[in-house]
Amino acid sequence: MRGADYFIKRVVFAVVTVFVAITINFALFRLAPGSAVANLSRVPHATPETRAALKKEFGLDKSRGEQYVLYLKQLAHGNLGISFANQQPVSSNLRTALKNTIPMVLLGTLFAIIFGTFTGVISAWRRGTATEGMTLGTALTLYAMPTHWLGLMLIIVFAGTLPTGGMSDEFLINPSFTEHMQDLARHIFLPALTLGLVLFGEYTLIVRSAMLETLGEDYILTARAKGLKPWAIMRKHALRNALLPVTTLIALSLGYIVAGAILVETVFSWPGIGRAVYDAVLQRDYPMLQGAFLVLTVSVVFFNLVADLLYFKLDPRITE
Amino acid sequence: MSVVLHEPGAVEETEVRQVRRGLVRRTLSRRPSAIVGIVLLTVIVLMGLLAPWIAPYGLHEQVGQPFEAPSPAHPLGLDDGGIDMVTLLMWGTRISLLVGFAATAVSILIGGTIGLSAGYFGGKVDTVLMRITDYFIVIPDVPLMIVVAAIWGPSIGHIIIVIGILLWTGTARVLRAQVKSVRERVYIQRARALGASHWRIVGRHVLPQVAPLLIANTVLTVAVAIFDETALSFLGLGDPSAISLGKVIENAFERAAISSGAWWAIVPPGILVALIILSCSLIGGALEDALNPRLRASHLGARSFRLRPLVGRSPESV
Amino acid sequence: MRKTSAALFLLVTLAAGCGGSSSSSQEGGTFKIGTSSRIDSLNPYVAFNQDAYSTFMYIYPFLVQYDKANQKFAPDFAKSWSSSVDGKTWTFKTLSGAKWSDGQPLTAEDAAWTINTDVKYKDGGAANAAGLIAHIKNAEATDPNTLVVHYEAAVGNVLAQFQQLAILPKHIWTQHLGKSGNGLKTWANPAPVVGSGPFKLTKFKKDEIALFERDPSFYGPKPKADGFGLRMFSNDDALVAALKSHEIDSIEEVPPTAINALQKAGFVISDVPGADQTDFIVNSSPNKKSHPELQNPKVREAFDNAIDRKQIVDVVFLGKAKPAASIIAGSSGDWANPSVQPTAFDIDKANSILDGLGYKKGGDGIRVANGSKMSYEVITPTDLSSANRTFQILQPDFRKIGVQLTQKALDSTAAFDAMTAPNGKYANFDLALWDWVGLIDPDFMLSVVTCAQFEGWNDSGFCDKKYDADYSQQQLTPDQAERRDLVWKMQTYLQQKKPYLWLAVLDHVGATSKNWTGLIDSPQGPFNSLSKLSLTSVHQAG
Repeated sequence: MRGADYFIKRVVFAVVTVFVAITINFALFRLAPGSAVANLSRVPHATPETRAALKKEFGLDKSRGEQYVLYLKQLAHGNLGISFANQQPVSSNLRTALKNTIPMVLLGTLFAIIFGTFTGVISAWRRGTATEGMTLGTALTLYAMPTHWLGLMLIIVFAGTLPTGGMSDEFLINPSFTEHMQDLARHIFLPALTLGLVLFGEYTLIVRSAMLETLGEDYILTARAKGLKPWAIMRKHALRNALLPVTTLIALSLGYIVAGAILVETVFSWPGIGRAVYDAVLQRDYPMLQGAFLVLTVSVVFFNLVADLLYFKLDPRITE
Repeated sequence: MSVVLHEPGAVEETEVRQVRRGLVRRTLSRRPSAIVGIVLLTVIVLMGLLAPWIAPYGLHEQVGQPFEAPSPAHPLGLDDGGIDMVTLLMWGTRISLLVGFAATAVSILIGGTIGLSAGYFGGKVDTVLMRITDYFIVIPDVPLMIVVAAIWGPSIGHIIIVIGILLWTGTARVLRAQVKSVRERVYIQRARALGASHWRIVGRHVLPQVAPLLIANTVLTVAVAIFDETALSFLGLGDPSAISLGKVIENAFERAAISSGAWWAIVPPGILVALIILSCSLIGGALEDALNPRLRASHLGARSFRLRPLVGRSPESV
Repeated sequence: MRKTSAALFLLVTLAAGCGGSSSSSQEGGTFKIGTSSRIDSLNPYVAFNQDAYSTFMYIYPFLVQYDKANQKFAPDFAKSWSSSVDGKTWTFKTLSGAKWSDGQPLTAEDAAWTINTDVKYKDGGAANAAGLIAHIKNAEATDPNTLVVHYEAAVGNVLAQFQQLAILPKHIWTQHLGKSGNGLKTWANPAPVVGSGPFKLTKFKKDEIALFERDPSFYGPKPKADGFGLRMFSNDDALVAALKSHEIDSIEEVPPTAINALQKAGFVISDVPGADQTDFIVNSSPNKKSHPELQNPKVREAFDNAIDRKQIVDVVFLGKAKPAASIIAGSSGDWANPSVQPTAFDIDKANSILDGLGYKKGGDGIRVANGSKMSYEVITPTDLSSANRTFQILQPDFRKIGVQLTQKALDSTAAFDAMTAPNGKYANFDLALWDWVGLIDPDFMLSVVTCAQFEGWNDSGFCDKKYDADYSQQQLTPDQAERRDLVWKMQTYLQQKKPYLWLAVLDHVGATSKNWTGLIDSPQGPFNSLSKLSLTSVHQAG
């Protein structure tokens, strides 16, 4: 299959998936028990007229089909609805939340990629030795720990030394740039570390797997037969070829990490999109939930697409 | 299995038997850590199974002050309701394992059926089923789980179904790939030619071949299911009357255990969860390792190195 | 003494005189409060959370506020008031020379405008305030310092209502009326908010922080602190950790399990009876057909006897609560009927009552009433943190009297829906656990068991004509003593009917660093919507 064909095929798939997600989203929420109106009209002395007016305002008096079309129309305009909690547009709430999540997640991922790759390579290279056992053991253990529990453990360890919640000290009045940066750094450290450690375990295993596969390939055998030193083999052939699947994997997991950040953000009161989902669940703020879910799905689809295209670029033999 | 057909297929039949006999030996020799995993898991499962009989105190029995420190009578102290932690851990394991296995069963059932059908029948069936699977893979599980659990209500049955419904994709893909390669084998085609029904072929020829892989996948799915249950409980979506390990952690968290200095209420349950996941991963990973070169299913392109990222995705790998 | 040392001596003495020898208080500083609650919205027509209302108290003028003891009414923006003989006209004299924080004049016209807007749009954008302007026809500012309010009938709780009504700046809010007043609900009212209070809200990040600075244009007594902040946490551990590390100075509500640790660490723990009561609801709807035995007052009495309130107080609230008995909690002061007392925990008595009704226990120990097992589903809202532990205490005790309880946890919206089903008839649910946070004036709490509140605040299905008549009456009884007697009578009546089996009334426990003092506590805690006194008097300890 030619490159253009593949590209188009993948993009179409991505678009259709988003559409499916939108529909699932709609179905889930409109079929929800506990109608939207009940939540809205928990005001004292809400008369039947008030309730009817609210119903009309949110379009809940129309048929399901009409609601769906309306929903699609609104989405096309970027209108994700109004949050029940603060009566503000969901899109602006989400935008703020995303802005807060991304730095933390990026930091953690960076940490995991750097250390994970390093450990994964070592573990594969030193196959059969104690080093492998150690690195593999550490990676597996970290990988097995529930993310939120690891966060709580870190809180226990660092309580008193580092802040255990929030993104910054909001009471810092007019801090200098350095003070502000220091404050942000102190707050971002633990959540990023938690995410980083869990991902580190996973990435180590992935890189190790990829390295082992590559090391088992015929051309590596040939290289050894030719008398090339192990490290040269590593550098020239194995690393380069193993990093192909690793790169796409990382691109893939980026999409999912945002979703996984829910646990970290809940533990550390980080005001990002994960916590927005959690708060929306607690308050049954359905428009926010719907919007957040859509954003997360689209980001995952997007990164999947990126990964697919990346891999195609790196290895055109792949056509599914 | 003693079916012996007097045709070339007979060779492959005995091969299957050899595969299975050698599997355990090969698994253990390649990855001795699998022994650790098996032992750990056995101990934990036993503890969960026997909980009602070996638990030192009653599950709802208040035996002291909330968050009482560990003492000789209560080596792991008490939780926020004054209940013995050791008892809670035993019962918690029981419930967690129940949810984990049940959800996995749901997932394997769905995923297995879909993967089997797609791989076996091929063609249009395959395309349709795989498209559906692809959509499900891409939709992020943890948020979807949260949303569905929030809407549907926190009961243990709901949680099991919700988790199961989102984990089947990995099994489906793995199984499909495997069934596809098995289907090409000569003896299957011979059996078809001889007029054997689909059921017979699947039951007698296909399933035994894919069973080892299915088992490996199942074990790994259990790990993810238990993690997901812990996550859902932590976010307050667990069944309040089913006290799983995840719920124990959540209770402690809700009642400010760390600030009260009651580390015993939060650290042990997490360790137990980690041990369960670890042992499952060790066993599953070792099984896969053993099956890998034999079945040559590893070169399936980009997605072949996927593990089961616990930050929120379904298991799919060979 | 040499000249220089004399001068020095003088200087030192002068300095000592200025440096706070007159009082032990220091001016200035920002008082940092931490909470696990939220300010859900800065718009009074949208907000639901208590912290939002406490915020409004400090940034907006109110006609009256509560006094230090939270019993009587004291002036805020209105310096005096009087009513006509028939009680249908109330006149308030407001302070002159007052200004909004943007410099515009604050007069009685703003008060009149707020009241009239609330009346005009009470079925639409101003629905949130509808309860406060009940029975008001209109209001007018006969001059910049005089507000006259016209009522349809003489109302018994005029001041209590105005204590809750924030006066909004007309010149700002007229721009946001929108179509038919619907704009009132959709405007975010973002910081910096134009208001008039001891503080002005200068920074607001939803779910994170609300920062208040001293407002120099305030018409009342100036606060001692430079400002205060409310920092919102999403879990109790982070909250307590922040206090311990002195990132914040005070916690609104201390989780009971952390009280000892904080006390040991040297923080000042305040503990006052609160207004939050947990309850066990028995469906009292006349539409309920299944399990008719639940309507039998003797059955409810038996249930009441099967509740171990002491254990609930000890285990669920770690002793920081008291057994509850009446719909009006003790924190309402004189309005609470002292003769309404908690029922004793007596399993034997409960059993004998049920035996006397002829409900025999089956082979499994569960009684059978009128052919059906006494097995009930208890709905619990997931956001009631005490629900699970409370249920775990109730379930085995009820088993002992032959009644089986199963828990059904639902989120509060779904729970409310399940209880009102079908279509507001309240015909399905059996039992439920929930809580109420009352005000000081009893009108609101008494209203939740009226027929008019079906699908509104009513969560018990209780609908009783006699009670409703009493309710209207107390609302329209201006004589306070007479009203009090009626309110007491209603509490006794409810104690007989038992739509609610009251469980515990929670203490309000707060923690403050030793570096600050001067807070004035209340059933809602030191940061409350009852008066402006508390945070105006807080100051750094000398």
